[in-house]
Amino acid sequence: MTRVDQFESAFRAADKPVFEFLQPMVERALVVTDLRGADATAFRNRVRDFLAVLGNGVQWDLDDGDSFTTIEALLERVNMRNPDLICTYRSLHSEAWRWPYSLGEYLDVLTQVAPCPVLVFPHPRADRTNGHTLQSTDIVMAITTHLAGDNSLVNNAAGFTNNGGTLWLAHVEDEKSFSRLMDTISKIDAIDTDTSRERILAQMLREPSDYIRSCKEVIASHRPSVHVEKIVTVGGRLVEFRRLIDKYTVDLLVMYTKDADQSAMHGLAYPLAIELREIPLLLL
Amino acid sequence: MNPAAFALTGAAQQGHDVAQVPVGVTLLFTALLMAMILCLALEEKLHAKKSVIVGLFAVVTLLLGAAFDLLPFGSVLVGGHEIDLPVYVPAIDWNVIAIILGSSLFVDVTSRSGLFTWIAITLTKTSGGDPLKLLVYYGVMTVVFSAVLNNVTAMIIVGSLTGVSLNRLARSNLLLGFLITEALLTNVGGLLTLISSVPNIIVGTAAGISFIRFFVVAGPFVLVATLVTLWLGARVFNIRRLVTPEEREQAARLVAGFDERDGIESQAFFWFGTAMLIAFIAVIATTSVLPLIQDLGMGYVAITFGVIMLLRFKAIADKFYQAIDWDLLGFFAALFVVINVMEHALVLELIGEGLAHVIGLGDTLGAGLIVVLGATVSSVTDNIPLAAMLAKILTAHPVIGSDPDSPFWWAVVFGANLGGNLTPIGSASTLVAVTIIHKYELNLSFVGFVKRALPFAVVQILLAVAYIVLFV
Repeated sequence: MTRVDQFESAFRAADKPVFEFLQPMVERALVVTDLRGADATAFRNRVRDFLAVLGNGVQWDLDDGDSFTTIEALLERVNMRNPDLICTYRSLHSEAWRWPYSLGEYLDVLTQVAPCPVLVFPHPRADRTNGHTLQSTDIVMAITTHLAGDNSLVNNAAGFTNNGGTLWLAHVEDEKSFSRLMDTISKIDAIDTDTSRERILAQMLREPSDYIRSCKEVIASHRPSVHVEKIVTVGGRLVEFRRLIDKYTVDLLVMYTKDADQSAMHGLAYPLAIELREIPLLLL
Repeated sequence: MNPAAFALTGAAQQGHDVAQVPVGVTLLFTALLMAMILCLALEEKLHAKKSVIVGLFAVVTLLLGAAFDLLPFGSVLVGGHEIDLPVYVPAIDWNVIAIILGSSLFVDVTSRSGLFTWIAITLTKTSGGDPLKLLVYYGVMTVVFSAVLNNVTAMIIVGSLTGVSLNRLARSNLLLGFLITEALLTNVGGLLTLISSVPNIIVGTAAGISFIRFFVVAGPFVLVATLVTLWLGARVFNIRRLVTPEEREQAARLVAGFDERDGIESQAFFWFGTAMLIAFIAVIATTSVLPLIQDLGMGYVAITFGVIMLLRFKAIADKFYQAIDWDLLGFFAALFVVINVMEHALVLELIGEGLAHVIGLGDTLGAGLIVVLGATVSSVTDNIPLAAMLAKILTAHPVIGSDPDSPFWWAVVFGANLGGNLTPIGSASTLVAVTIIHKYELNLSFVGFVKRALPFAVVQILLAVAYIVLFV
């Protein structure tokens, strides 16, 4: 009966997720800051300029440092305003932004509770941008460890990419996990190790590559001015993502943070959100 | 027809004195044959492969045959040369073995071209995900694949695609109906050509029926039986067309994700595989009229095409040898040995005498009865021993043996093939279908299968009886 499995595998491999374009709708954006007065307004304006791609039809609300002093109060305001996008930064009402070890209690909760994407900017007082201009979203990168079929991630990333800009779709397979899997396989005599290594890796990389091809075709028909580029590779996730972000001087990084099985940010998102402090992050 | 005139001459022809075989010895070997058939029927319960079961009976019957002095030891004449061969070597029909070996090798290598998956996925996309269209397309594909390849390969390809595509369409509730209908169609498609199933090869070769003649006779029945089976399948399993435009749009979007070119590693090899498949069918179909080839036979053709396809993978040919179903080949070889010993023990003559009464009923009632009896026996045990045994008996018949157009040959072919639809153990392809059904954790017992398949099988068998009586 091996051949049933062989043909099933062939048909499953041929069953590929097809990208469906859906422009993310942002009609109300909420800027949350612990700044006050003119500083808060200036921050909101910077955010608005940065997100010019969203157009002029967006209503920009502002909750400044006086409007909340507790997490509960912030969540109440978010519920009341019902935004399509929240723009903020790390370590609200805290000095912890100086140390790259947490997002701060407000953002920790907000990323998991907010019903909409959260765009995390570098802290206004931080001066490390590593050459990133924070001017526009000309170069956007969507990163994930499982890109195939992730329409929402790609649509959001495409929606935030400026006309004439470049959208990088990056899929990085974790080298350590793969090595651990192969180490286990190498101890099972019924499975050919060399063939497995070659075929598993090829299939792992093929799926996101096929999906990105589908994304390119579909996005080209809806947003012809956006260039879609592919990155499918194997490596240490954190190191590899950081290398890619620096290499392509990314203006905006898009990634998932929610995990259906847990109430905290999913494994990779948290360290990335903490360590990548120089560029804006769109957390879905 | 005089039943007394129907007697086997096989043993006598080989210089063995028929009168010297005591009745008790014949009955002992008859009991052994019955035991072997019973063991094959209980193959799943015994957890033993067919080759091991029949292999064991082959060594036991050979030993007993030697002990009772039944076997024609000594040299054999091959092309005018006397050659010393073990007594069990000429007992095997090597042409049948070569056809099966060559065909399976050819099909296995050709499937690497992506041709079969391309056809299957293209049809899936063409259906737009409509369940009724899918049933019709998969049904026709099952019949064609069963005819061109073999029924087991057809069931594997179509069955595995059915599981994946219905799952994709979120219509797993239809999976059972699809798989049962397809399983029932494998044995209908298996009737289409001389090489579509092993009983066809055995009976067709024994009767001297050409490939074209086989196709011309079986074709109309296969067409009607396919249409009736699909119609029944749609009704019994409530498989209907999509009604609303939204449903159709959603289904089309879901199947659009299938990439028919995914399995094609090399465009050149894809076209080569396609050309070779067409050439294979053409050469097999015309083997009986091609100069030189007609002497070498269909086994040679099958092996040749298998070897040509292997050239593409010459460095890893051993992987394809490993994939050959050696259990099936071992089973056939051992079966031929057992049947040969049974012939020397006059068991076939004994069965032939019983069968002579049925044949004596005439071309209408006799042939009709053989379809029904053949189908009944095939439903509980392997149809190959039955086909091999009946072919041997009919070959020895003074009238039928020399008449390839006799309806009795067709009665054996139709009965042996369609009987496989009565129970899940009736044929290898229904067994494959049940295995896929269980793989998807669908609840289907032996009785459950019989209940669902019985109306289909009865209609098919009645159609076959009517067809043979009226048209053959």
